[in-house]
Amino acid sequence: MSNSFNFSSFSKQSLKGVLVIYINLIFKGIKFTWFLLFLILKDFSKVSARIGVNYMYLGLALILLFLLVRSYLIYKNFQFKIEDEHFILKQGILKKTNTAIPFHRIQNINFKQNIVQQIIGVFKVSIETAGSSKTEIGIQALSFAKATALKEIISKSSKFEKELTMDTETKPFVKIGFSELFKVSLTENHLQNLFLFLVIVIGFFQQINQVIAGFGEVVSLDGFIAENKNVVSGGILFVFILLILLILIAFLSSFVRVFLIHFNLTASLKENAFEINQGLFTKKSIVLKKQKVQNITISTNPLKRLIGISFITFKQAISGKLNQKKDKLIRIVGCKPSQVEIIKKSLFDATEVENKEKKFSENYYKRRIFLLTFLILFVLYAIVYQIINSVTIFYSMIVVFPIVVFLILKKVKKRYYKISDSMLLVGRGLLETHLTYLEIFKVQNIKMKQNIFQEGSNVVDLILQTASGKIKIPCISFEDAIKIYNHTLYKVETSKESWM
Amino acid sequence: MFENEPVSAFPNITEITFESISKKFLKVILLNAFFLFCVILMGLILADYFNLFEELNGHFKLSYGAFIVVFSSVILLNFLGFKKRKYAVREKDISYKSGIFFKKLTTVPFSRVQHIEIDEKPVSRLFGLASLSVYTAGDSSDDLVIKGITKEMASQIKEFISTKINE
Repeated sequence: MSNSFNFSSFSKQSLKGVLVIYINLIFKGIKFTWFLLFLILKDFSKVSARIGVNYMYLGLALILLFLLVRSYLIYKNFQFKIEDEHFILKQGILKKTNTAIPFHRIQNINFKQNIVQQIIGVFKVSIETAGSSKTEIGIQALSFAKATALKEIISKSSKFEKELTMDTETKPFVKIGFSELFKVSLTENHLQNLFLFLVIVIGFFQQINQVIAGFGEVVSLDGFIAENKNVVSGGILFVFILLILLILIAFLSSFVRVFLIHFNLTASLKENAFEINQGLFTKKSIVLKKQKVQNITISTNPLKRLIGISFITFKQAISGKLNQKKDKLIRIVGCKPSQVEIIKKSLFDATEVENKEKKFSENYYKRRIFLLTFLILFVLYAIVYQIINSVTIFYSMIVVFPIVVFLILKKVKKRYYKISDSMLLVGRGLLETHLTYLEIFKVQNIKMKQNIFQEGSNVVDLILQTASGKIKIPCISFEDAIKIYNHTLYKVETSKESWM
Repeated sequence: MFENEPVSAFPNITEITFESISKKFLKVILLNAFFLFCVILMGLILADYFNLFEELNGHFKLSYGAFIVVFSSVILLNFLGFKKRKYAVREKDISYKSGIFFKKLTTVPFSRVQHIEIDEKPVSRLFGLASLSVYTAGDSSDDLVIKGITKEMASQIKEFISTKINE
């Protein structure tokens, strides 16, 4: 790709960017005022009678015009250039901001396309740094040629290897088509998805409730809920329908989630990076440097194991709080065992650690989980008994107890670790199985915790802190923990490799 | 039989001698606790005076008793736990341990240190004490913090780590 673009003087984004910014602004406006809009639309005739329809349309037109002018000004004032190994950006209409990012601090350059950007054929280029989230930069609209040219220039800098440039030639080693994606969504953890969905719905209703309370119309909604309560107690049929509905919603939400995020997933392998493309409405192209990967987790569940697929989660270094950057979790779903092997092999040599024997947590771990779980169960039963006041609920114990015991035993069995000279493998999970692979030298700091009960059993919890979160090995014997502790410190302190 | 045992180059965490933090820090802890004690006591007295919790009528005196019991046990725990707060600086890492009922040992290798901070809180400053925080990458909310060492010691350790990082 030629560099016919000149970045040495300030340049703007593609003119189409005005449209992208405009639509973004409109969406933002709707998002902030949706409830107000809803109220106006609901009683449109009443409101329009009071204000006058023409004035309302005029107001709307004025707002739209204002947003258009604003987006043009944003576009006009958004200028960037490249000057001695720095990416320089100035933006702002009234409050001008100047940002300069040295090339070596740039971690990733990602291309993204939402649906508007797909239609008009431009890319959003985001420049990620390892520092605070404030220095993250998003250029809303660049043509593909200009975007790649920009990426190439930044990539040429000494620290950012050349291989990272977009190279459409390499053949992807993972390609997830429609049928595979279907399988993936079918075997998702539906319970979890249902839960997520319910959380969203409840959050939505709470928002409505709050706003309505603010308008002093809380009575009507209360009446609505009370009505519904009567229906619930109405009959078993209703409960049955509700159950089926919930199952349907669970499946549907799994499908929607998987298809939205992972549609057309391809992953290809470069010399020192992975390139992952996915997304339905928002296409994402992620370049993941192998060196930046802190650890990977290979997860599967009984259903997925049946059809022989698992998903891989890559964890990159994060800064600041964990939740701030969900983007840093990069996931490839629907991997076949051979593909998992390719990914593992390209990152590190895991055969040695995999051949080590499993070391389980001490018995104390099992005792603790049993004790805590049954304590919680006891309290729950006590509460339910207080409410219902009938002995019949205790019959459910016949079903509940074996399930709980089975699950706990499963959880304990899946809790193990394997350690070799250079790698650590930690297994965990309840119904799902997660295997986390960590190169020991990537540990940031190490902690050992022991409470007074653990002291009696001579066990400790070991916590390895990496740049992408904690890895915990609970309740192992003090002697083993000391061995790992010393070994980890030795590995970290003698390693010459950079951890990112 | 001849056995060629590999020489272990591992530094052993159990073999290092930990140093206690400055004894003056106990006074800081007690002073801080005393201030807190005074504030809460004032609150209780005011609540009693204005009869804020009417439903408790008469039993309010009990809350004084409960408060004093809780507070004295907190002081006692702090007093006992104080002796357990220890730190150690080695050639390539720094460690800190603490706790009686919940023991904790943390080690940060110098090669992973992102930055170091020295804080002086008002009460600590009266006694010439400071706290040293060592941050690493990632979720660094609970990295290593050594409270209650002399200011000179803190800056000495900071200097030492800085030179080690730049090596």
